[in-house]
Amino acid sequence: MAKAAGESRFRQTTVMVLITFFQVICAAEVILAQDEISPVLVYIFAGYIVSEWLYMMFGVIFTGSDYFELEAIAFFLSGIGLTVCATISEDYALKQVVAIALGLAVYLVLLLLIKNMRVAMFLRYPAAVASLLLLAANLILAKATNGALNWITLGSFSFQPSELVKIAFVLVGAVSLDKLLSNTNLIRYIVFSLACVGALFLMRDFGTALIFFFTFILIAYMRSGDVRTIALICTAALMGALLIIYFKPYVANRFAAYRHVWENMDSTGYQQTRVLIYSASGGLFGLGLGEGKLRDVFAASTDLVFGLVCEELGLITGIAVCVSFAFIVVFAIRAAKGAKSSFYVIASVAAAGMLLFQLMLNVFGITDLLPLTGVTLPFVSRGGSSVICSWGLLAYIKAAGAPFRLPSPDVDMSRKSVPSKKGGRAA
Amino acid sequence: MKKTVKRAAVLYALVAIFLAGIILLAVQFALNGSKWANNKANRHIYSSGSVANAGTIYDRNGTVLARSENGKRIFAKSAAVRKAVLHTVGDTSGVISTGTHYLYRSTLSGYSLFNGIYSLKSKGAGNDITLNIDSGACRAAYEALGDYKGTVAVCNYKTGELLVSVSKPSYDVNDVPRNLRTSEYYEGVFLDKACSGIYTPGSIMKIITAACAIENIPDIYTRTFECKGEYKTGDGTVVCNGTHGTISFQQALNESCNCAFARIAIELGAQKLRATAESLGFNKQLYAKEVPLVKSRFNPSRSSKTELGWAGIGQSTTYVNPIHFLGIMNAIANSGTGYAPDRIKQTGTLTGIIGRMPEVMVRMNPDTAAQLKRLLRSNVTDKYGESRFPGLVMCGKTGTAELDDAPSHSVFAGFCAREDLPLCVVVIAENAGWGSGVAANTANRVLQYLDNND
Repeated sequence: MAKAAGESRFRQTTVMVLITFFQVICAAEVILAQDEISPVLVYIFAGYIVSEWLYMMFGVIFTGSDYFELEAIAFFLSGIGLTVCATISEDYALKQVVAIALGLAVYLVLLLLIKNMRVAMFLRYPAAVASLLLLAANLILAKATNGALNWITLGSFSFQPSELVKIAFVLVGAVSLDKLLSNTNLIRYIVFSLACVGALFLMRDFGTALIFFFTFILIAYMRSGDVRTIALICTAALMGALLIIYFKPYVANRFAAYRHVWENMDSTGYQQTRVLIYSASGGLFGLGLGEGKLRDVFAASTDLVFGLVCEELGLITGIAVCVSFAFIVVFAIRAAKGAKSSFYVIASVAAAGMLLFQLMLNVFGITDLLPLTGVTLPFVSRGGSSVICSWGLLAYIKAAGAPFRLPSPDVDMSRKSVPSKKGGRAA
Repeated sequence: MKKTVKRAAVLYALVAIFLAGIILLAVQFALNGSKWANNKANRHIYSSGSVANAGTIYDRNGTVLARSENGKRIFAKSAAVRKAVLHTVGDTSGVISTGTHYLYRSTLSGYSLFNGIYSLKSKGAGNDITLNIDSGACRAAYEALGDYKGTVAVCNYKTGELLVSVSKPSYDVNDVPRNLRTSEYYEGVFLDKACSGIYTPGSIMKIITAACAIENIPDIYTRTFECKGEYKTGDGTVVCNGTHGTISFQQALNESCNCAFARIAIELGAQKLRATAESLGFNKQLYAKEVPLVKSRFNPSRSSKTELGWAGIGQSTTYVNPIHFLGIMNAIANSGTGYAPDRIKQTGTLTGIIGRMPEVMVRMNPDTAAQLKRLLRSNVTDKYGESRFPGLVMCGKTGTAELDDAPSHSVFAGFCAREDLPLCVVVIAENAGWGSGVAANTANRVLQYLDNND
């Protein structure tokens, strides 16, 4: 057992060294590209990398576990996002690094809270009510921002409520359906889901609405295992979608460019074609940070960040980003096997599925394999709400347990082996 | 609980779909990356729709025809050369779609799946291209055409190298005429007539009819033909350019006798004529290496003998593409193997070392080719006169493409039978009258230039 733990730990260190190496190169490229070395950027990158290592060393105190595969992936992805921001401006980099820190804080607090099943159970009502209030407030307050009405602006601070609601949505779903519940509870959850999806529809944020719908389906399947019911729900949803398209043709018009982007290069297919043109220009290894042209296109560092990464860091890095998410999902499935209760299983699967589904909508949307829906790339896209939500969702996967160790019959033994390993390493 | 854990495996399906999508994406990059990266909207390469950064284009002698400097495209120094090679080099916006700038844009940008356009970005230039084109000879050809529009193409029949390709009207890219898109003079200026033009061939089509006769009428050389200035086909009349009396097959070709060739064409019949023409590349989409050619068309009438007669002498509904006809001349000159005229000498280090593989565009029975060569040689020695092509050992055929409402096109197709000057030539001088005039003289001047400057 101790040996297995030692091996796992060794691999983590290797992974972290590799990630740090990559980040140092990126940081050097960004910082040295400027005429004058920016001390702010140096502090940001140095702080970020040091924090990663501090977390890896002392994270066990907060999380009570000594495996950090998930966090390593999240740090890798967030680091790429931070690098992209740094190539644009110091201001963006500062905001992004603060967002990552907040994300990490949300992650740790959430982890602490949901570790206790009773707290999680208690939280679902406030979470549901807060979510609905947020979305309602959003609908009332929000001003039109880039076609979708999904922002709340308070002074100089603006955020996307729907991102925060994602975290609550998983919690409410997983808790509500954990036990065999009365029909009332089930109906309450369905009403809550409908309200969320409906509100997003009214905000014309169809991408996020779809993510919520997918997560709902996933949770429903996890709970019931009834494929027929799922098929029924999907059919109903499809018919609903057709009705919406029939009565509100502008919804369909939003997606008219799909598979026709080259014919609409300078209108509805502008972003997709530019992503393809510049991603191809980057080749496998990229043109170098800051050397790209996609960055001049609207939303390059947010929705189109995958294209920017491909152009400047290369297709290999772009695919590495994508595959990282596949790892997160595989970890979630494996972690579920050791989970203490089905709440953790459902929450873990729902959160991982949500992240991967959003990634698919983003990456395949901007490359015209799917219709463009304008969702962000979790962890990597610039923007506080998105980064915080991504880290928050990670907490559900972490809470389920370790992906690589079989559940030990003697928990105390394995716990004890940790400090002794540490001592051995220091010596 | 156990069931729930098992259901978690549903995510594997999602991961599988996701990975399939990523693979599909990667495959699309591999297949379409070049097309995407070389899109006009790519501001690494283009600046407001014009090529800004790309490799240098050289002619065969190392003369720079186009290069990039500080994000601007700079062309050949001489205005006359710029005009003469305009269609081969192409404009920077890709309006001339067969120009090297557009057709070889992914080479010029240096795109590779592996590196994208990194070399363009880091060195400020992509791959260089060296053309087989001789810009001096192009200029000579352009000037030899004088005021006439038309096209001149010269090709080495042993290697397929395209030395000259000129299309008129042309313009100077450094001094674009204001009325380029409005003036009648510049109509069709963006068309490279050598590869994208088709012309009524006139009497050079008799070469094809002769090829068919050689292969299908065993006693063709012992036959005699009666020419009284016109030939009654039964359902109409084919008019001749003179009254030739009783003549042999060879004399008929020398004199370009319409009566004799209309009779031969009618005797051969539409089917055989068409079979020969199609075996030589008519009615087919041809490529001169990467350059797409407009189809030459030959659809002789099956119902009207007169129409069939006219088709056999290159009038009626027959059209040829100049580069295609150059390929046919290559086949005759090179014992039946007609290489595709290739404008590119090298596109990088690899092609620089191993060279470009010649590609056969037109194949002809070697025996037919040898007989045609002899006949075409006799045209010069017995009819046009050696003095018109001094020292070239010329073989060829003149032609006059009669038009309904304008002066005829003057046409010449031929080649030098000299071992050290293995060149084929096709000239079309629009509305320049009888073939023995402008086109043949232009051919002579260009070949003399190449003979003296090589």
